[in-house]
Amino acid sequence: MENTSVSKYTVSFGLSLALTSVINALLVVAKEKSPSVMAGLQKLTGHHWVSHSAIVLFLFAAFGWIFARANGGRGIQLTTNTLIRTLVSGVVIGGLVIMGFYLIGD
Amino acid sequence: MTELILMAHVLFGVACLIASVWIFVEALHASETNQARIRKMSLAAAVFMWLAFCIAGYWYVVFYKVDKAIILKGPWPFAHSFFMETKEHLVILLLLLVTYLPIAASNNLVANQDARRVVLWVSGMIALMALMMEGEGAIIAMGVKVALLVK
Repeated sequence: MENTSVSKYTVSFGLSLALTSVINALLVVAKEKSPSVMAGLQKLTGHHWVSHSAIVLFLFAAFGWIFARANGGRGIQLTTNTLIRTLVSGVVIGGLVIMGFYLIGD
Repeated sequence: MTELILMAHVLFGVACLIASVWIFVEALHASETNQARIRKMSLAAAVFMWLAFCIAGYWYVVFYKVDKAIILKGPWPFAHSFFMETKEHLVILLLLLVTYLPIAASNNLVANQDARRVVLWVSGMIALMALMMEGEGAIIAMGVKVALLVK
């Protein structure tokens, strides 16, 4: 794989952003479809949306940190084209799943 | 008081939108003279969005249930069932993007065309999503208004 010309944090947090965008959408579907997931989120902070936001933000920071430590601390190696494609795809898929769910799935 | 909270939320949201468009245009013409400004503006966009998010979050958790009940009894229930439901979750994506922007802008944007492309994509997505959030917010407000008008 080709070395990226952007910093390791740009790659690691970019990948984390793509991943957490999809997780955010899946968490929406899970909590709307499962009363126990909704109740769990509600119990965590007192409001499902606050818990939901906190979990997603925590995962973004955690995945970014983990990805930056891969390859012996050099971070995940990706070309910038792959990074941009992954990042945009993650955000678009996450957004479409949320809109699609409330449009037809809920 | 609730009106002031809502207006502050919109104000910071618009400030984030303007900052992201600013960054997009500056990144298109990145040079030694504007690189520091791009980094400062990307931090400003993140601060604006975090303020908008926290203010809106407080309003949503504490006050929104009254508006929600009004909207659902009115002629535009979709203002809540689609627009508010999607807005409250899509805004988390927007928050992730603006938090990432200063990281992307910390690269050398003058010498590194790849880093510039990342900043262009991220600031472009922020601008589009922020515009979408403003539109959804307007429809939610209209949902309350039309419900009160038919009473």
